[in-house]
Amino acid sequence: MASAGGGPVRAARRRQTAVAYLFLTPALLFFAVFLALPLLFAVLLAQSRWAGFDLADIEPVGMANFTDLFARGSTFLTPVLTNTLLYAVGTVAIALLGALTLATCINNLRFQGLWRTLSFLPIVTTVVAVGNVWKYLYAPGGLINGALNGLGLHSVAFLQDPGTALPSVVVVQAWASMGTAILILTAGLKSIPEAYYEAAELDGAGAGTIFRRITLPLLRPSLLFVCITQFITGLQSFALINVMTDDGGPGDATNVAALEMYQQAFKYGDWGIASAAAFVLFLVIVAITVGQLWLFRRKGGES
Amino acid sequence: MSRSARRRPRHRRPWGSYAVVVAGAVLTLVPFLDMLLTSFKGPGEYGKLPYRFLPQAFDLSNYRAAMEQLNLPLLFRNSVIATAVITGSILVTSALAGYALAKLHFPGREVIFRLVLSTMMFPPFLFFIPHFLILVHWPGAGGNDLLGRGGAGLTVSLAALVMPFLVSGFGIFLMRQFMISIPDELLEAARIDGAGEFALWWRIVLPQTKPVAVTLALLTFVNAWNEYIWALLISTANPRLMTLPVGIQMLQSYLDPDRMVPVMMAGLVLSILPVLLLFLLLQKHYLRGVMLSGLK
Repeated sequence: MASAGGGPVRAARRRQTAVAYLFLTPALLFFAVFLALPLLFAVLLAQSRWAGFDLADIEPVGMANFTDLFARGSTFLTPVLTNTLLYAVGTVAIALLGALTLATCINNLRFQGLWRTLSFLPIVTTVVAVGNVWKYLYAPGGLINGALNGLGLHSVAFLQDPGTALPSVVVVQAWASMGTAILILTAGLKSIPEAYYEAAELDGAGAGTIFRRITLPLLRPSLLFVCITQFITGLQSFALINVMTDDGGPGDATNVAALEMYQQAFKYGDWGIASAAAFVLFLVIVAITVGQLWLFRRKGGES
Repeated sequence: MSRSARRRPRHRRPWGSYAVVVAGAVLTLVPFLDMLLTSFKGPGEYGKLPYRFLPQAFDLSNYRAAMEQLNLPLLFRNSVIATAVITGSILVTSALAGYALAKLHFPGREVIFRLVLSTMMFPPFLFFIPHFLILVHWPGAGGNDLLGRGGAGLTVSLAALVMPFLVSGFGIFLMRQFMISIPDELLEAARIDGAGEFALWWRIVLPQTKPVAVTLALLTFVNAWNEYIWALLISTANPRLMTLPVGIQMLQSYLDPDRMVPVMMAGLVLSILPVLLLFLLLQKHYLRGVMLSGLK
């Protein structure tokens, strides 16, 4: 740092401030138009009735949209919000268990980079490809039913049967998101000092004990991170469902909150209800994230 | 990460681990393989039971059909332009703002940095509706008057595909974190030599930033190329703005049912090839980006 002085230093400071704001202008302008303004707009719309087109027709209705969402006979709480939670919980459970198993096993092998790269293929692939490939894997004449028939089992109408549609989509979302989890858990595994393992082996601890007593506790921060980020992704994603079951069918069996919001706005033109639904989902996400942080902190001291 | 070789495998014969990982790899690859093999199947071959994994003959006609059905030049043009503009814009704006937040001293720096961080908290679905409405009512565009009334606004122009994605809070954060480690002495020396602030950024800061720029570019490229929901919305308003993912999704509705699935798979293979190749070539940089962001 230059020593404090008179005019030149102050002029340099002022110049730096001007330059800094000049450099920040594009970002700040963008955030004003595409972040602050939309948030205001969303708050306003959530408390209005509006069928689109003329902005002058926006009619304030207070909290009516929110009470409508939770009114008797509304499908928003069940099945839509319940589906959203099941979708997120199912995805996180499968992806986390699968990723933990795979990351631990990969860590024991050679050519680790190869295996991790493989696990990433679904992530760099567009959701349109992932969704459609699986849609036809699940189809009556597709690979999975072909394999079931080959084993002498009956065909399953995975995406057409309301009982199996949601779990079927959950599996795909988990399949598609496992790569990220594997990557983060691997980094967590690598940060565990080798000395811990050596000491445990000298003490004659078995593989299971080592995993439970050393790996799992020291992996906590990575597990928490994966859990929280994948939960958020699971709660808000709907592109995959949109590709695989179009409008959340059969019936509302695979309809989730973000898809409901999308359809209310762009299909039925009920912008107020749609915006209210978006806010409810946002609050659910915040609540679940805070809840997870609290749970992890309470169960395991700091992290 | 880079020192992954330091740990020797703990078990001398990790057969169990091999079995699990190979099973995982098969589960990952089978859908891709099935997509590729189905894309070669002839008319009526897909959907017949018992299921046959391999095509009877490697029939390339599905690729020809996909190319005929899709307006591929248009779709590619839209996807390429949108991806290039988004990636370029995020790189430049992140490098500018990140530098200001990392290396310049000015009142309000902490507040703005927190604001940038907070932008990452809001999930994208919250913005679909307002973004669409803001573009519809963009003043003076697409037949709108100065109050944003009367026309379709920007939703019918190529700008609609890119505008909501031009700046990324994550990108700014990433750049800032990286640029903090550039030595101040380097910048001071250049200032004493009389370099202007912009020349400083261009000649000294940017070259130092190359590794993180590659990572950010790749991450942004993949996300932008694969973007679906927003592009679907915009192509509904104006079919001339259709991107590759949306176009292929549309294949479902206008094809001979006997060949629909194989032709669609051919289209999917064509659409994911560029990104897949890029990823395989530069995967180290990409994976580092995912590590840094934690989210896709």
